[in-house]
Amino acid sequence: MNRPIPTMPKPPARDWTIRILMLLLLLLIVASFATLPLKWREFFTVDAINSTMELLAGFAPPETSSGFLAKTFWASIETLAMSGLGTLLAVIFGLAFSLPASGRFGAAPRAAVRALLNVLRSIPELVWASIMLIAAGLGPLGGTLALAAHTAGVLGRLFADSLENAAPLPEQSLRTNGASATAAFFYATLPQTLPQMMSYTLYRWENNIRAAAILGVVGAGGLGQMLKYHLSLFQMPLAATVIIAMLLLVALVDGVSFAMRRALTR
Amino acid sequence: MLELRQLSKSYNGRPVLDQLSWNFKAGEFVSIMGDSGVGKSTLLNLIAGLDTPDATAGASPIIVDGIPMSGLDDDAATKLRRARMGFIFQAFHVLPHLTLLQNVALPLLLNGLPTARAAEMLDAVGLAGREHDFPHQISGGQMQRVAIARALVHRPALVLADEPTGNLDPETADAILTLLQREIKATGACAIMVTHSQFAAKKTDRVLLLSSNGLKETTNVNPFAQ
Repeated sequence: MNRPIPTMPKPPARDWTIRILMLLLLLLIVASFATLPLKWREFFTVDAINSTMELLAGFAPPETSSGFLAKTFWASIETLAMSGLGTLLAVIFGLAFSLPASGRFGAAPRAAVRALLNVLRSIPELVWASIMLIAAGLGPLGGTLALAAHTAGVLGRLFADSLENAAPLPEQSLRTNGASATAAFFYATLPQTLPQMMSYTLYRWENNIRAAAILGVVGAGGLGQMLKYHLSLFQMPLAATVIIAMLLLVALVDGVSFAMRRALTR
Repeated sequence: MLELRQLSKSYNGRPVLDQLSWNFKAGEFVSIMGDSGVGKSTLLNLIAGLDTPDATAGASPIIVDGIPMSGLDDDAATKLRRARMGFIFQAFHVLPHLTLLQNVALPLLLNGLPTARAAEMLDAVGLAGREHDFPHQISGGQMQRVAIARALVHRPALVLADEPTGNLDPETADAILTLLQREIKATGACAIMVTHSQFAAKKTDRVLLLSSNGLKETTNVNPFAQ
C-alpha cells in the first residue's frame, strides 16, 4: 500500500523587518564613522606610537613605598565603602519604589513610579555626581549619593519586574487562608524573588565599584581622586600603583560577587 | 455550622447559582458534585468570602458559624477565614521555600497561636520526622498530607476542599481521603469537598449534586456506596 511520504512543513515566512532594521543600523554605524573627524593616519604614525610607548614606559615601575601603599589602601577602602553604601541605599529605595512600580497599588502609581525610575537611571552616575557634589560638596558623600540615585533607578525597575513575574498562586493561597496582604507578600512573594533580587544587587555592586573609581575623578574621593591628582602632575609610577589597586579591587569584588550569585541561584 | 439561604450569583447578568439553600452541620463531611461550569468552585469562593453573592434584601445568604458574611468588609472576611476556615487545593499550594513544619505552622502564626500543634499535626498525617524537609523533597501525596495538616492545624470550624485528590493516583487519593475523613471527625469540623470523582465522594457522609436546578441531595445514603 502506497502511503504518502510526509514532507517537512514550510518554514515560517521570512521576517524582513529585522533585516531592514539591521541594514539601517549598519548604515548608522558607517555614517557615524564618516561624519566624525577621525584621523586614523595620524594615530598610527611612528611619532604617535613612540609618544604612546614613552608615556606607558613612564608608569613602570609602580610606586611601592610603604607610605604610598598605605595611602592607596585607605583610598581603596573609601572606594569600597562608597560603592557598598551607595548600593545599600539603592536597595532600600529600589525596594520601596518597586512595590508601586509592580502595580501593587494600581495602574496610575505604577506608571508614575516607573517614569521616576526611568529618570533616575537615565541620568549617568557622572552627571549625578556633578549634581550631588554641588549639593553635598567635594568628597565621598556626593559620590555615594550619585551611585545611590542611579542604582536606585536600575534596581527599582529590576525588583519591580521580579515582583510582577513572581508566581501569584502562593500569595493567593495565603490570602485565601486569611493572611493579610502584607503577610502574604512577606511569606509568599518576597521569598520567591529574594534570590533574584540579591543577584541583581551583587551585580550592581560590581558595577558600582568600577563607577566609584571613576567618580573620584570629579572629586568624589577614593582611588579615582588619587588617580586624577597624580595623572595631572604626571606622576606616572604613583598613578600606576593606583591603577593596579583599582584592578585588584574590581577583581576581588567580581570574584566575591560571582561566588555569592552562584550560591544564591544554585 | 454553615447556612446558605437563597444564595444567588450571576456574572454579567448570567445566573450561575440560583436561590441555593442548605444547612451544613458541624462534624459533617459533604461532597458537592456536578458538571463542569455549574458553579461548584464559585460556591466555595462565595462561602469563603472571596467573592460576593448577588445582593438580596433581608438576611445574609451565607452564615458561617453564626456570623452573617454579608455584613463583613474585606478585612473582617480575611480574619474570619484565618480563624475559622481551612482550605485544601487540588494543586496543594504548599510554599516551596518553607519547611514542612513551617508550612503547617503558618495558620497558627497568622492567628497568633502557639506553634507546638504543627508538629503534632505532621505526626497525625504520617509525616513525623520530616519536619525540616522542604516540599521539593516529598511526593505529591505527601504534599497533600501537608496541605491537610495546614488546613486543620488551627482547628477551623469549616474546611473547604477543591478537588483535593485531583492530582493524585487512586491509591494515594484513597489514603488522603481516609486521612481527611479521620481528621475531620477528630476535630469536629464541617468539611465541604468539591469533586468530580465518584470514588472521592464515596468517602463522604453525603453527596450533593449541584445543577441549574440548585443543590439536591441524591439520596440519604451515598449513591456511589457499594
